[in-house]
Amino acid sequence: MSAVQARRIKADPSLIVVPYRRVSVAALATNVVLVLLGCFFVLPMLWMIFASLDSNPDWAIKLPSLTLANFTDVIGTAGALSSFRSSLILAGATTVVTTVLAVLAAYPLSRMHIPFKRGFMLGILFASGLPVSMLVVPVYQLYVYLGWLDSLYTTALFLAASSLPFAIWLMKNFIDAVPAELEHAAAIDGASTFRILRQVVLPLTIPGIAVTAIYTFINAWGAFIIPFVLNSNPDDQPGPVEIYNFMGSHGLFKFGDLAVFSLLFSLPVIVLYLFMSRYFSGAFSFSGAVRG
Amino acid sequence: MLAEVRFEGVHKIFGAETAVEDLNLFVEAGEFMVLVGPSGCGKTTTLRMLAGLERPSYGRILIGDKLVNNVPPRFRDVAMVFQSYALYPHMNVYDNLAFGMRAHGAASALVDQRVKETADVLGLGSLLKRRPSELSGGQRQRVALGRALIRQPQVFLMDEPLSNLDAGLRVQMRAELSRLHERFRVTTMYVTHDQVEAMTMGDRIAVMNSGRLQQVDVPETLYDNPVNLFVAGFIGSPRMNFIKGVMTTSGGKPAVRFMGATVPLSTSSKLIGDTADGDVTVGVRPEDIMWRKAAGPDSSLTFSAEVDVVEPMGHEAYVTALCAGETVTSRFPPRSGVRTRERVDLALNPARLHLFDARTGESILQRPVAGSAEALKSAREAWIEESSAGRDLRPPAPVVPTKSEEI
Repeated sequence: MSAVQARRIKADPSLIVVPYRRVSVAALATNVVLVLLGCFFVLPMLWMIFASLDSNPDWAIKLPSLTLANFTDVIGTAGALSSFRSSLILAGATTVVTTVLAVLAAYPLSRMHIPFKRGFMLGILFASGLPVSMLVVPVYQLYVYLGWLDSLYTTALFLAASSLPFAIWLMKNFIDAVPAELEHAAAIDGASTFRILRQVVLPLTIPGIAVTAIYTFINAWGAFIIPFVLNSNPDDQPGPVEIYNFMGSHGLFKFGDLAVFSLLFSLPVIVLYLFMSRYFSGAFSFSGAVRG
Repeated sequence: MLAEVRFEGVHKIFGAETAVEDLNLFVEAGEFMVLVGPSGCGKTTTLRMLAGLERPSYGRILIGDKLVNNVPPRFRDVAMVFQSYALYPHMNVYDNLAFGMRAHGAASALVDQRVKETADVLGLGSLLKRRPSELSGGQRQRVALGRALIRQPQVFLMDEPLSNLDAGLRVQMRAELSRLHERFRVTTMYVTHDQVEAMTMGDRIAVMNSGRLQQVDVPETLYDNPVNLFVAGFIGSPRMNFIKGVMTTSGGKPAVRFMGATVPLSTSSKLIGDTADGDVTVGVRPEDIMWRKAAGPDSSLTFSAEVDVVEPMGHEAYVTALCAGETVTSRFPPRSGVRTRERVDLALNPARLHLFDARTGESILQRPVAGSAEALKSAREAWIEESSAGRDLRPPAPVVPTKSEEI
């Protein structure tokens, strides 16, 4: 035994700390509001899932009498497939145009000294907050004038224009995060501006490019009012417009088909969100580049 | 291959602020020039102008005999080591090293050969496949150095490359940088705020303050003959003591009165400028005002002082004492046994005084040069060869006092 004797400590009941929780009114109210808000999101989804599997679905959320007939029904129709194709073209074209332009616009905005840059950036931020539906009538007029109506690609052009402000803002923040010293080092190492962009800046902004692209894609995938107005060609209606058609113009409501279509249509979005969250969680970082 | 660097009347003005003012500096081919000064003195701006990252507002910058004012960085044939290292995080060590040569379109066989050589010189051979995030601070520092070395540029630029390393590693890398410079003899411009780095590494040192070049000279001259109060206070640790004094005459010879004593000036020193009976600032290095008991016969002046603070450093102790109304710091032997509040006798060597005009801060006393600069330089080179173990020692020059150590 060492010189210092271990003393025996008697358990003193008064020293035992009992954890307790007091329910405050504020916490209760907050939780109630959150639960209510959650219901708004969860209940329609629940309906969507149940109705898609129900042999006799209606407005109500009820446990389904299981069947896969709705799925075979939807997948079998040509309209569903073509609307997927249309959505893919529309969202894909929008994404490519937006992302390329956003990178090219954001790089000088991030790196160069440009007069009125702050005002320009604030203008962009303001523009990204404007509701696009506000512009629908003048844009329709413009498209009539240009003869651009009823094409997925010209529709994508306007979707790209409307998503560009936010994409530039997003992209600029990602490029800002690339240390300028890396570019200085590359410049002194003898690299041309194009090489610096290609070999240093772009590889380091891949997460930002991915986030911008995915964000743009998801928005374009779910866009309704613009393709609804600018593209009336019944053969290439994108998904959201098709869903609207399920509800209105076919007369009778086919709840099962509607639910299945909505479910299938939201799958790509869910997958992309999961993918995007990986980039946001810092799977990629600048560690080791600079210290500080 | 070797190029000299020349700044001629260079100014850099940012808005209302003048970062660098009328800089005239000549760096010889193969020279290791250290730019030293406090934060914001314009030393990094000067380096960035040489790199091409900033353009001078006025003046000319020449590398070799080529005017480079309007030459973009990539055509200047300079290499730079950044304080932050600035390694490309998405590339492994090999690609980091190869980047510059590839950018210049070198053949891949040559790139491969040079990467291997450089990695060997810096001991990076086993790390070539690693990313910067998988390296320690010292290893990153070596990669940054290697990226500069591999290019075999005309000029090396280093922006406080050691300031992110811990103290031990810094001393080691300091010696290594000196050794590399001995080996490759590339013209180098090295920026630091650390006067120990400046003194130990520089062939010559350029001291800057508030955008102005104060003095350029070999380390020993800078230490022995600082041109003004700023240089005197900046170079040397602990700092030089500054004491108020008045010029006077004693027996027909110029003398200075301070701390209650009248001290005739040493005959080997030369007074410069207008010094008639004016106020002066007397500069005394801590090693020139010693403990009476440890002082040699040259220290003929004795002051009585009361000890205020004793700072033992191990191999010596810094004693701050109150002496005739002035606070002076002096170097004591390590185990003097002196305590706070104790009265001690301090001995001063009058031949080692510095005198500055109290109004302008300019030096008014030219002291004799301690041995020829050439002799000192060769002593330094011999020392660099010896100190391969990374010890922080000064060359044993006979007249030069012991230099400050790493704090």
